[in-house]
Amino acid sequence: MTIDFAALTQLQPLFKLLSSGAHLNRLKDTELWVELENHQNHYEALFAALGFVLIVDGRGFAYFKTELASTYTGKLTRRLALLLMLLFEYQADQGLHLFQFQQWRLDTPLLGKLWQQYYALFEAEEINSPKTLKEILDSASRVGFLVFEDEVYRLLPAVHRYLDLFEELAQAERPDHDHIKDEAKEDIL
Amino acid sequence: MSLAQYGFQKLVLLNSAGYSRAELPLDDSVSIIAPNNTGKTSLINALQFLLILDKRHMDFGAHSVENSRRFYFPDNSAYILLEVLLPSGMAVIGCVGKGLSHDYEYFAYQGSLDLDDYRLDDGKLVAQPKLIGRLFERGKPAKIYPQADLRALLYGNRQKQRSDDPDLTIFPLEFTSQAATYQRILTRTLRLDRLDSREVKNYLLEIFKNDLQDRSVDFKSEWDKSFADVNYDKSQYDTVFRNKALIAAMEDSQQTRLALRGKIILWRPLIEKGLNDWEDYNNSASEQLRQRLRALDEEAEALENRQKTIYKDQAKVETALKDQKKIELRYQELNIQFQFVSDLAQLQTQRQVLQEQRDELVRSIGNAEQQQSPEAIKRNIAKISKEQTDLHRQLASLNNNLYLQLQKLLPTDSFDLLTRLLAKSVLSLPVAQGNAVELNDQTTFRSFAEKLEERLSANRLELPGLLLDLSALEPNLTIKTAQELEAEINDCEHQLTESNNLLKTVETLTQQKQRQQEMERRITELERDVKNYEELLSLQAGASERLQAIEDLEQKLKALEREESVLGEQKKTIVQTQEIHKADQKELQSQHQRINYARHQRIDQLPPFNFLDQLPNLPCMAAAELAMPSLADCIESYNRDCQKLKQIDDQLNQHLGELHRDGVSKFQAQDSAEQELNSLFNYTAQLSQEQEAIERKARSAVVQVAAILRDLRDSLETFKRRMREFNNKINRRQLSDLKVFKIEPREEEALVKAIQTLISTSEQVESGNSFDLFDHNAVLDDKDLNKAKDTLIAEGEARGGLRVEHLFRLVFIIAKENQTPAEFEDIDSAASNGTVLMAKLITGLAMLNQMQDPRKAIKTACYLDEAASLDQRNQRNLIEIAEEFGFTLIFASPEPQITARYCVPIGTTKGKNHISRLNWQILETISDVGNQP
Ligand SMILES: Nc1ncnc2c1ncn2[C@@H]1O[C@H](COP(=O)(O)OP(=O)(O)OP(=O)(O)O)[C@@H](O)[C@H]1O
Ligand SMILES: [Mg+2]
Repeated sequence: MTIDFAALTQLQPLFKLLSSGAHLNRLKDTELWVELENHQNHYEALFAALGFVLIVDGRGFAYFKTELASTYTGKLTRRLALLLMLLFEYQADQGLHLFQFQQWRLDTPLLGKLWQQYYALFEAEEINSPKTLKEILDSASRVGFLVFEDEVYRLLPAVHRYLDLFEELAQAERPDHDHIKDEAKEDIL
Repeated sequence: MSLAQYGFQKLVLLNSAGYSRAELPLDDSVSIIAPNNTGKTSLINALQFLLILDKRHMDFGAHSVENSRRFYFPDNSAYILLEVLLPSGMAVIGCVGKGLSHDYEYFAYQGSLDLDDYRLDDGKLVAQPKLIGRLFERGKPAKIYPQADLRALLYGNRQKQRSDDPDLTIFPLEFTSQAATYQRILTRTLRLDRLDSREVKNYLLEIFKNDLQDRSVDFKSEWDKSFADVNYDKSQYDTVFRNKALIAAMEDSQQTRLALRGKIILWRPLIEKGLNDWEDYNNSASEQLRQRLRALDEEAEALENRQKTIYKDQAKVETALKDQKKIELRYQELNIQFQFVSDLAQLQTQRQVLQEQRDELVRSIGNAEQQQSPEAIKRNIAKISKEQTDLHRQLASLNNNLYLQLQKLLPTDSFDLLTRLLAKSVLSLPVAQGNAVELNDQTTFRSFAEKLEERLSANRLELPGLLLDLSALEPNLTIKTAQELEAEINDCEHQLTESNNLLKTVETLTQQKQRQQEMERRITELERDVKNYEELLSLQAGASERLQAIEDLEQKLKALEREESVLGEQKKTIVQTQEIHKADQKELQSQHQRINYARHQRIDQLPPFNFLDQLPNLPCMAAAELAMPSLADCIESYNRDCQKLKQIDDQLNQHLGELHRDGVSKFQAQDSAEQELNSLFNYTAQLSQEQEAIERKARSAVVQVAAILRDLRDSLETFKRRMREFNNKINRRQLSDLKVFKIEPREEEALVKAIQTLISTSEQVESGNSFDLFDHNAVLDDKDLNKAKDTLIAEGEARGGLRVEHLFRLVFIIAKENQTPAEFEDIDSAASNGTVLMAKLITGLAMLNQMQDPRKAIKTACYLDEAASLDQRNQRNLIEIAEEFGFTLIFASPEPQITARYCVPIGTTKGKNHISRLNWQILETISDVGNQP
């Protein structure tokens, strides 16, 4: 396939965003998203040639798939995974539908409640205060999992990656699906 | 299978695509068999020339259309021919090369496809220029069609057909407008391996286009359009609100300006007149003042003169009075002095007595002055007294004194010697025991006297070391007798008395002289007293006159003083009056200067003052009168008013400019800045009503925008409905081992929610009872609404307009038996190659079928390359499904596919491919064979 560079008007910002390890979100980066949608094949091919695997998820996010994770991202992934898992659990307990996570408002009271309920688990991960929760969310915001606006955090579509992972894990709980567990260890960032 | 089924019968290639001749049955499923790179795909692709027609829609994979033309139409005897059975009978659609630049043209005719029609007797193919004639000869009146016309024919676009044209509709579409879509899908259907999910979405959208609101909503422009007014009004409102303080100040200024104008209009003629009259007034007033001052000067001079006179008189009277008073004082003194004097004679007598006493004294003093001085007399008295005492002693010691003793004892010479040597008093001393002279041994003393005498020679006494000449010495004592002595003593006595009296007289002489002087003084005094007394007497005589004179003088003096003080007052008054007049003069001058200056300072000749009365103003109700003395003040204040008006003009203009720059433009349409200001003030006064009006407008704008969005949302719902129907269609038969195969739209949550937010807001607004649902009761400030708007605008801008397809994405939902359905975005990743191939094919066929007019089913063909990847069960299934959708399947593979009815191998001779009917192998099931006629 011949790649028409002139047509790929957003190559630079796209590459900058994705190569930083961040997620492109349909809602947050509409323009880039539409560009990606319109020239998906070209971008995929181009990035592949550069050694990146571009994943465009129709649910509204895109990212570079990486195998290796730095210790930092590894730590953040782990902590964010824990935080999101507990959040999902908590929200499910409240009777909320998990797939509507984009509509949740993660405000200070909610984080407070999370902390209250799961502080033991958090502390095991060296998350020692609700403030640290916020720090995790801030870090995650920088890589496109959340957006902070009007004093609340909102989950972005990219969180589907975690949700998918949790589902796989949940399935893996069943004895005949042991093998999925290993696959699920892949680092999301 | 009935022969009467309408549809494709066969495809024939002559001298095209590497085939010398190819005859391919299309009335039922076919398995084309040939090794790779033989010409299977190119055979099927040939159909594109006839069915797609539009070069732009043709797809030859890696081969360009240009190359393909060369490949398919090497010369003017290359043919692609399709025989199709239509309700109007058998028909042939053909495409023939024109040779030149590998162009080609279309033709069609009714009748069946007979290859002999295209072959000359010599076995050569008919060349394009002769084709129509040849066909005509063969009883087949063919017609050449431009590409577009043929397309109209094939896709049943009646409007574009001529009435004498046969009905050659192969693709009876429900909507002829969908021909392009149909062609595109058809193209894909020929090469289904390329169909991807995005295309599926696009095709489905096109297929359902007629059911959907197909317009692209430029949400931002719709929003802006609907809110243009609102936003404008709001921006105006906000700016005005922000500038409320400034506007209030401007309103004050405007009020001041109106009043000032009224005032200036009122005063202008008065000032004009005042200035005209000023010269005269000034001249006469200053002349008057000059005259008055001159008169005052004269008056002052007269007063001055009079005052001088008074001063002189005063001095005179005062001197006179002083004199009189001095005299009176003298009189008083004299009166006191002579209190005890009764008359003049008394004094004269006293003086007479005194003069006589003095004369007596003068005489006695004259006597005394003949005598010695008292000192000489006293010395004389002392001498006489001593002499008397000596005499007394001599008398007492007359018998016993040393002289006598010596006279008795001593010879005369010795005696003489000693009497010369011893002092008289010593000689007169009595000799007695215990006295000063004791004569204890007369003999011894006589011897001594002898010895002493011896030392004497010729009256010279020589003592050891001392020589005395005795001749100069008198013998000291001659012895007098007692009588002599007593007589001498009496003499002395008398002399002493005499001398004492004399002494007394001489000694009192000073006193007497003093007494005389005293007397002289007293006489002079008395003489003066007499004179004074005489003066007293004369003074006594004039006393009453003098007192009268004093009183008169004092009266006169008082009168003068009074007059003088009055004069002083008058003078003061004159000076004051002068000062006042001078001040008036100065004032007049300064007024004149001020007026001249102010006259030049006037700006009321310039605009806007020269048309001030045409400008809005507040008539000045104050009574205006111009007194000349106040002209300067008036004109100055008038000038100030003019300046101030000008200042306000400038300031208001400047502020208005500032407001314009800040964005207040609503009132600029007014005819004048003044009217603009008024409108602005009115508007500002009614800000709260304006706010309500804006809110009302905003609500109706929301309703307006929501109406457009509602169309979008409805379209989405319709699409979802259509998709359910479509899923039913493709699920009529099981596909491979799939229990579930669905294509479902998934809403783009955020967008749909945003649309929903706007719509429900609009509904709330329309129902009119839910203002309290908004933050601050205001649509414009509604957070969710604004967020929804922003989301839609961002999406619309990124995509160049909002369309229904932006509201969802399609997912393929696939599940095998005993599996929970999984969603896939990419159909290629959904299942195994074969299954995916099938899914694609079925989807494509279903889409085509969807477009066809269900009442006029005409069977066409579709193509499955690499058919070997499907197992036979699936192949059969596929054939049946295709059949149901109105297609015959063409499999292409190196191996024969026995599920097809025809197996057609491609033969090669002399480097050219060929297929003839004779090579067709018809596979029939036993029952089919049995059913063969
Ligand atoms: N549109 C075209 N223009 C020019 N040449 C073409 C075109 N289509 C096919 N060819 C040529 O025709 C020959 C046959 O190709 P084709 O794709 O028809 O083979 P095939 O039998 O389908 O092979 P495979 O089994 O590998 O699919 C090739 O040499 C190809 O280059
Ligand atoms: Mg092929």
